[in-house]
Amino acid sequence: MRTQAEAPEREPLSVDGTGVALTGVERGYRGRRREVVALSGLDLQVRAGDVVAVVGPSGCGKSTLLELAAGLQEPDEGAVVAMGTSDAAGRRTACAYMPQRDLLLPWRDSLGNAALALECQGVRNSEARRRAAPLFDRFGLADFEHARPADLSGGMRQRVAFMRALLPGRPVLLLDEPFGALDSITRASMQAWLAEALTEEPRTVLLVTHDVQEALFLSDRVAVLSPRPGRVVAELEVTLPRPRSRRAVVTDPEFGRLERLALEALGA
Amino acid sequence: MRRYALAGLLLGLFVLAWQGVASLNAVDDLTLASPVETMRALRDDWSLLMDNAGVTLVEVLLGLAISIAAGAGSAVAMHIWRPLREAAYPLLVASQAIPIVVLAPIFVLAFDYGMGPKLAIVALICFFPITVNVLDGLRSVEPELLKLMRSLGASRLQSLVKVELPSALPFFFSGLRIAATVSVIGAVFGEWAGADEGLGRLVLLGNNQLQTPRVYAGIVILTVMAVALFALAGLAERLVCPWNRKEAPSA
Amino acid sequence: MTRPLLAALALLAVLVTTGCGEKKEVLEPKGSKQLELLLDFFPNADHAGIYAAQADGYFKQAGLNVKIRQPADPSAPLKQVAAGRVDLAISYEPEVLRARDKGLRVVAVGALVNKPLTSIISLPRAHVRRPADLKGKTVGTAGIDYQTAYLRTILVDAGVDPRTVKQRNVGFNLNPALLTKKVDATLGGYWNYEGTELRLQGRKPRIIPVNRAGVPSYDELVLVAGEEALHRDQAKIRAFIGALSRGARALRRNPDKGIQGLLEANPDLDPKLQRAAVKVTLPLFFPPEGKPFGYQDPEAWERFTGWMRDSKLLVKTASAKDAFTNELLPGSGLSGRGQCCSAAAPGSRLRAIAGSRRTAVRTRSRPGPDPAPPS
Repeated sequence: MRTQAEAPEREPLSVDGTGVALTGVERGYRGRRREVVALSGLDLQVRAGDVVAVVGPSGCGKSTLLELAAGLQEPDEGAVVAMGTSDAAGRRTACAYMPQRDLLLPWRDSLGNAALALECQGVRNSEARRRAAPLFDRFGLADFEHARPADLSGGMRQRVAFMRALLPGRPVLLLDEPFGALDSITRASMQAWLAEALTEEPRTVLLVTHDVQEALFLSDRVAVLSPRPGRVVAELEVTLPRPRSRRAVVTDPEFGRLERLALEALGA
Repeated sequence: MRRYALAGLLLGLFVLAWQGVASLNAVDDLTLASPVETMRALRDDWSLLMDNAGVTLVEVLLGLAISIAAGAGSAVAMHIWRPLREAAYPLLVASQAIPIVVLAPIFVLAFDYGMGPKLAIVALICFFPITVNVLDGLRSVEPELLKLMRSLGASRLQSLVKVELPSALPFFFSGLRIAATVSVIGAVFGEWAGADEGLGRLVLLGNNQLQTPRVYAGIVILTVMAVALFALAGLAERLVCPWNRKEAPSA
Repeated sequence: MTRPLLAALALLAVLVTTGCGEKKEVLEPKGSKQLELLLDFFPNADHAGIYAAQADGYFKQAGLNVKIRQPADPSAPLKQVAAGRVDLAISYEPEVLRARDKGLRVVAVGALVNKPLTSIISLPRAHVRRPADLKGKTVGTAGIDYQTAYLRTILVDAGVDPRTVKQRNVGFNLNPALLTKKVDATLGGYWNYEGTELRLQGRKPRIIPVNRAGVPSYDELVLVAGEEALHRDQAKIRAFIGALSRGARALRRNPDKGIQGLLEANPDLDPKLQRAAVKVTLPLFFPPEGKPFGYQDPEAWERFTGWMRDSKLLVKTASAKDAFTNELLPGSGLSGRGQCCSAAAPGSRLRAIAGSRRTAVRTRSRPGPDPAPPS
């Protein structure tokens, strides 16, 4: 287990053209009464294939960070690069963005919702549905292809949203508190499921969460954000190989140490 | 079922009260016809009433069709182009303030007698609720969802067709229910400005010629027509928007 | 907790029942009686005499406080006066007869305009000089059944098959329909009003009053009272007609001054049109030589009633006898001047009319044939 001080030098991302990098990012917006600076001097790099978790207090700009990476916003200053391209449209194509809420379309069934992303890329509806169908088994949703979102539980809806995000096969996955709305039992099983899924199909992942344990369970590195204006105040390497068992996270003393470090950084 | 039973009971009480007032002779025969007399007029004048009702119904349906096409179309246009919305919305509201009674004869002179003026009036009355509701529906889409569509790489047209229009459907039907009920009033006003046929005309002439039971019979039929249209609109909504059922979700 | 609720309900019940009741008692200014008059239509030149009497104070001098009202719909005047909600109404001879046929207890108490005004009006380009020229043309009507009957009678009289004439219901927009060439001619416009309007616009209208084309003459506008009110309000009605005659005479002496009453009470009217209309209508406000003001010709009434019966507009009415009375006209029943109808004592015919319906105020049983009044 190595801490940050002992981490090897990383290759600058612009050279190999994969992964996500935010450099010196400033982003503000007009709030109710004044200018609000969400992020200031933010530096964060995600190597290809890495899972990086971002934790921070609420309102620290975590969602803004993701939207910048996703190409839905542009930084006021600094640069955002994803898969070698800094152009917003290019970032949108490279990243699969999963917002906090599943936002499934209530008038479509699960299959139709899962196929939505493909349709937006120009794939014909029937073809998109055909491609989405095999995933249902893998995601544990067999026989629910024709169910409407209203008939699904929270966890099931989240899995459909995952399918939607994953189907186009984009290399970068941006997850905004994907399990935040779920109860703890469902959350635990979903985390285990995601860990498995990422092992089977590795992606470059930037995961925003308020749950430090979740971050330690799923990611290779945890970045701690300061309160607004947000910037990275600590980065913790998590070197236990993935996928990890829940028991390991709970009992391994290294995890405890990292958790204490993270909480300290958050409290600071 | 119980809901209909209660409504039926209330209706029955109303009819009884009506018969009671009529029997008491508190109001004279030629102003108030009793339910019995109205029923008799319905029976005796059935074919006359039905023929004219048919004419009015055609005016209503065609006028509604026009208002649906124009209303939904304008709403989409106003949704997509903000300058259009800002320019047209106040005019849209103002159009409803002009009394139909005044417009009807003007339409008759502009469009000549026949269907034209009646369709124009029905369309004018029904256009507003449909347009406003569809516009509201289009604007009711969560920004989060539109952001998601952008991230999925959807074009403006795709967003419109896949997300905004389906979202607006329940709102459209709300507007349609309102339009359906007032459409009959529009047709009647159109006929009053000059018509050779139609239930509105029959009611008007009947009133002037003191044929009070026939007037009441005509009014009953017009009311039934409006209620039936309202119910049809509701039925259409249930068929087209099955996801919008406001049932308690199963735990 | 429930007591205030009960009190509220009781109050509501009282309000509702009194609201459903008959004419309310009105506080009368000292020395003058209230009289509500319901016009037949919007105020126009035909009402100039009434407004002249009002403006010149003749009603006040007769001890009357007259309120002039406009109807909400064309069937209102007769219904209101029959129900006793207004004292007098203005209506039309055919409608009075029809209303009585349907059981409405109303009586015409004086003629306001004693000749027909309804006409066939056309513009020169339609080439309608005589009724026979209507063959194959389109005629606009207001959809009124007795006016359609006028047209039928006129056509038959002129030897034209009614089926060759196309009729269109143009509502009350008779002149606009003519001017926009939607119809060749209209039937239902008044020669003194619609006709004058077209003349002033320089259109040179061709006008054929219906009584010159085969329809028996009738009183276009009549004053109507409810049967019950006839006896009870005798003096009031008589005073009204007397004052009205003075107003009409003042109008005749000086039309430009006399018409001010109408114009001032209704500033939205076009003075030029109203002045011109009044001038041509004036002769019709006045009775034939030797007859009292407001005289209704019994023979003409009988003839017209017969025509209505033949045209299937009346079902039960056998005679016009009880449909009108000249007893309340100024000078009749008093000094002997202008005794028109029966040789009976003054007021007896009134009692006869009011009393011939033995049954009480209002019943739902159909009235039988008119019983012969005692004379």
